[in-house]
Amino acid sequence: MVFSKAFAVALAALAGGIGISILGCKAAEATGRNPGAATPVLTISIILAALIEGIFILTAFAVNFD
Amino acid sequence: MARFTSLRAVLPAIFLFLFTAVASAAGGGQLPLFPHSPFEGTPFFWVSNSTIMVWMGALLIFLFCKAATSKMAIIPAGFQNFAEWLIESLYNFFGSVLGDHLVKRTFWFFGGTFLLILTVNYLALIPGVGTITYVDRDGGVQGLLRGGNADLNMTAAMSMTFAVLWFYWALTENGTKNFFAHIFAPKGDFKGLMLAGMVVVFFAVGVLELISIAIRPVALSFRLFGNIYGGEQTLGGLMALVPESLAFLPSLPFYFVELLVGLIQALVFTLLSAVFLKLICTHDDEHAH
Repeated sequence: MVFSKAFAVALAALAGGIGISILGCKAAEATGRNPGAATPVLTISIILAALIEGIFILTAFAVNFD
Repeated sequence: MARFTSLRAVLPAIFLFLFTAVASAAGGGQLPLFPHSPFEGTPFFWVSNSTIMVWMGALLIFLFCKAATSKMAIIPAGFQNFAEWLIESLYNFFGSVLGDHLVKRTFWFFGGTFLLILTVNYLALIPGVGTITYVDRDGGVQGLLRGGNADLNMTAAMSMTFAVLWFYWALTENGTKNFFAHIFAPKGDFKGLMLAGMVVVFFAVGVLELISIAIRPVALSFRLFGNIYGGEQTLGGLMALVPESLAFLPSLPFYFVELLVGLIQALVFTLLSAVFLKLICTHDDEHAH
């Protein structure tokens, strides 16, 4: 039981990490392509990074309520 | 004499900062998950160590506003100028997200929550705050001050308040018929048999929407709590790794990570709640701005 809990959180962390790195890469590209839109891109990427991290945080907590 | 009035108002704020930073010895063990109340047994048992920190944050914001508005001038100078810049940039930022009409109604909540979360986060990061301890009734050493947002009660309280306000604002902005239409009604125009099919499909979509609306406050509170509590655990844990004299070294980089996370989590909490409100309040004739 303990292994599956740790495994779930590790998977969620891996997914979160990949998600945010893809987001970061695309945000950098978008800002590079259109520097004028830096602030809107920043706002959107902060919102999406928060949602991605939210998934990890939810898994990290949901695992404890067995 | 006038010159000293603003100083007199700011003095308690400075004292408050110094008070929390006075004990600067590094160290501090693992942060327990639940806050502890230094007033156990007395009628004030509900005042926990994180409540004290939140009140200090609120008091700090109050003093800041009082100092900024003690000597108002048309051309703002010094403290008032900084306060005006801060509030105005926050207002414009939320205005760009929410649109002019909505931001007039809701800025008091979003701006206030942002400032409170930010102040409480940074108050908890003052070095030495964790070292002010007291011995509770059964002999355990407990920290007197604990990060306000490192306590799920505080973040859950804020997100539940937002959930109630979101419901009230959505109902008053859209009107009850539009509110439910916004969630369940089929979007786009369909004719005859297709319409019947679409109604069923969009009803299911509406149920999914309800579930996501219900998850939002939970996600908001867990996200803020998880990030801040995790950060404090990291700082505490890293300090425990090395001998006492070198305790500050491993946690130094994480300290600045925490400063950034504190700002970003404050921004994320309020920005997401503003975006959630905007999602439910957009009307079809919304002009692109």
